[in-house]
Amino acid sequence: MPGTPLLMTFPVTATSHLLAEYLARGGYGALEKALTTMQPVDVTKEVTAAGILGHGGAAFPVGRKWAVIKPNDGQPHYLCANADEGEPGTFKDRWILENNPHQLIESMLLSGYALGVRNAFVYMRGEFDMPYRRLQAAIEEAYAAGYLGKPLHGTEFVMDIVIIQGAGSYVCGEASGLLTSIEGKKGYPRNRPPRLTVKGLYLRPTVVNNVETLSNVAVIVRMGAEAFRKVGTAKSPGTQLVSISGHIAKPGVYEVEHGYPLKKFLFEDCGGMIGGRKLKGLIPGGISAKVLTGEDCENLTYEHGVFDKAGSALGSGGMIAIAEGTCMVRLLQVMLRFWHHESCGQCTPCREGMGWMHRIIDRIVSGQGRMEDLDQLIAISNANDGTTICGMGDAAGYATVGFIAKFRDEFEYFIQNKRSKYGGVLEVGATEVAHA
Amino acid sequence: MPDFFINGQPVHAEPGQTVLQAALAAGHYIPYFCWHPNLSVAGNCRMCIVDVEDGKGGTWSEIACNMPIEEGMKVLTETESVRNRRKETLQLILLNHPVDCGICDKAGECMLQDQHYEYHGERPVSFEPKVTATKFHSLSERIVIDNERCICCSRCTRFTAEVSGSHSLAIQFRGDHSLVRAVEDGAFDRDPYSDNVVDICPVGALLSKDFMYRSRVWYMKPTPSVCPGCERGCTVNIWHRKPEWKLNALDPRRNASIERVTPLENPAVNGPWICNKGRDLAKVFERPRAEQALLKGKPAELAEAVARARDLVAEAKRPVALVSSWGSNEELAAFKAMLGTRLAAFVKHDAVPAPGEVIEDDVLIRPGKNPNRRAAEALFGAAPISFPDGTDLVLVWGEGFNFAGLPRGAKVIFLNSYLQPENGHADVFLPISVQTERNGHYTNFEGTVSEFRVCFARKAGVADAEAVFAALATRERVAA
Repeated sequence: MPGTPLLMTFPVTATSHLLAEYLARGGYGALEKALTTMQPVDVTKEVTAAGILGHGGAAFPVGRKWAVIKPNDGQPHYLCANADEGEPGTFKDRWILENNPHQLIESMLLSGYALGVRNAFVYMRGEFDMPYRRLQAAIEEAYAAGYLGKPLHGTEFVMDIVIIQGAGSYVCGEASGLLTSIEGKKGYPRNRPPRLTVKGLYLRPTVVNNVETLSNVAVIVRMGAEAFRKVGTAKSPGTQLVSISGHIAKPGVYEVEHGYPLKKFLFEDCGGMIGGRKLKGLIPGGISAKVLTGEDCENLTYEHGVFDKAGSALGSGGMIAIAEGTCMVRLLQVMLRFWHHESCGQCTPCREGMGWMHRIIDRIVSGQGRMEDLDQLIAISNANDGTTICGMGDAAGYATVGFIAKFRDEFEYFIQNKRSKYGGVLEVGATEVAHA
Repeated sequence: MPDFFINGQPVHAEPGQTVLQAALAAGHYIPYFCWHPNLSVAGNCRMCIVDVEDGKGGTWSEIACNMPIEEGMKVLTETESVRNRRKETLQLILLNHPVDCGICDKAGECMLQDQHYEYHGERPVSFEPKVTATKFHSLSERIVIDNERCICCSRCTRFTAEVSGSHSLAIQFRGDHSLVRAVEDGAFDRDPYSDNVVDICPVGALLSKDFMYRSRVWYMKPTPSVCPGCERGCTVNIWHRKPEWKLNALDPRRNASIERVTPLENPAVNGPWICNKGRDLAKVFERPRAEQALLKGKPAELAEAVARARDLVAEAKRPVALVSSWGSNEELAAFKAMLGTRLAAFVKHDAVPAPGEVIEDDVLIRPGKNPNRRAAEALFGAAPISFPDGTDLVLVWGEGFNFAGLPRGAKVIFLNSYLQPENGHADVFLPISVQTERNGHYTNFEGTVSEFRVCFARKAGVADAEAVFAALATRERVAA
């Protein structure tokens, strides 16, 4: 394990997701502790003191989001767990939903207690089948055991959790698009202001947090903010579940303590690149985070400030390792095809820009590219910068600019020679894996 | 005290206003497409993005239509960077827009065209083929949509959700394949306000089948008028051909025909909307017109017919008048002044709801289908029509009265605008002008008075009812 684990603290077995085993691991202890010894505001204070940042991609301080909610202002509040894990390369929430669903439920109960929530939702992407069945079974267990739907530990606090299944839209993973989708409308993100913590679901104050972020709440309450801060670094406390994929020897979900050396993680914990190849690039946190070259990754430690300085972000923890010999032009084409397909079409720059960029990169890959196209791609990316309703336009723009800036020679080679420098290869080492 | 600043100019803002509203009210134009004063904020066209000084020497930018005003904030709407961003946004909007203004009904009053001229007017930078989409998809019996022209501003879908309440339009698919569609077959047909989406469409995507290719907008001029379709009395603009663009060839009747009807914004009555019935005023006023005075069905000179009518009024012992509730305030007052003491008057309801027509709703449509009933009843009472024994003359003003209900043996003077079988059954028939041929006012059911003006010259051989009443009472000649 890369550093101290907070979430992956138990061996995964065929029954480790069940209530009995969760209780045996000390589960629902934090809930009892909070309800018997803490006021709601104390839970918020504890979470704020822990300094945890959102794990969904934007790394927004959870304490600051929660601080906006006034639990006793006489109106309903909603809590929503964002399990619409759609960022390409990211599959870490899936681990929690499949292997430790009760920790999410306990954490949601704690968060609901802190925020004055009566009804909480889990918005889960439609493609998640086993996670859905596991979480639904866990919720039923929790109802049967009296954790949900009944007053707890002599308090008046009651909460229900409902799972809403999405229908396969990337934009529904954006907090406001997600709420619009729960309301039964087309999953269009909303303009801010008002913030969702002021007017969110059904125009009531709503907190939307990532599954992993919420799951950390039980950990924080159980061990206390002070002990939590001892894990990770001062600016990025705690850990991050990293789902690593791509040309890596041992892909999968790892829990990485913030501050852990990146190279060590890649080459020791994950076994290095396939076939001992060089690391050409790394997409550190879902394709919306800017790509890093192999050289950029030297001497980086896995924490927020460091990655921001390197010109990227931890994002959602969905790492994609890219080995030497990969065609970056075709990789960008795949990414732009995704964004074109997933643009919701609500606001102009993204609706038109994504399709435009996709058509340009398609043309480049077909050998019809012009040198001006690279500047045009950057210009379209810049036109999306800060002009869209949600972050998708910006993210696609940043990623495109990152690819062209870092691998410009490869793009120019493709345009000049009408073919890829690397034969258009994306599946580096596929045969080696098959024979392994 | 100024509340905030636009380009250094102090601007006063009302509570709750956004930057865009306050800026427009103060005369600072910020371009926009999706925003509409009577609809919710969608903020999807991104055209109204402005810069705001952050006080640290930099700026941040956000859409003006959704920007709350903070005391003393400094908004910049015309800087180089703001204008460049608008250019970029326009380039994106126009990326898949066909720019077929030459054959577009909206050309001349198109917001996109205006902005294209203001900011750009250049050739596109894109080399890529445009995304093709459905041309002329029929959304209802009245409306077609050209999805290539559509810029997905969602004004139309918000209109059906927020104003007409039919929720009949929605956006299907996503990304640059988004299409505005009726939620189910016939849903948009059932919306009695559907034609408003043509007006609020900022481009030429939503088109009226009725007005399709009928006229370029710059050949027409609007004349303020009042819709006579119900007692709401919505103010409308009747668009007809400008005299300087008179057609000498083709069909000369087009010079005096209603090309289209649009709402005339009037917060006191109808806001910026009217119903579909109001769009179809041509179907009311352009029915075959009566242009010939008749004496017992025989053609006669207008003056001769009026003289005969005057004799009948003078001879009658118990004359009764059925007053039109389509008469203007001026005509009703003239009737009251000239003939009110001579004839016993009842208010006649000229129009009743047609089969299938929306009788009443909570948006605009009123159950009474006569525009000036309130004013008529204020002058002549609301008693139902009855003929006292011995009625020997009935003056019927306007259509809608079944002659079978007339008392036996009574003489009939009939004033009507349209060719109808009853005309020949009257002892005296006098053709009168319609609303589009005269000035006047209607009083709606709430007592609000609205003005209508002359659109077309009165037809030859036709008299104004007001002049007829004066002639019947005095001995003036009627100018035909």
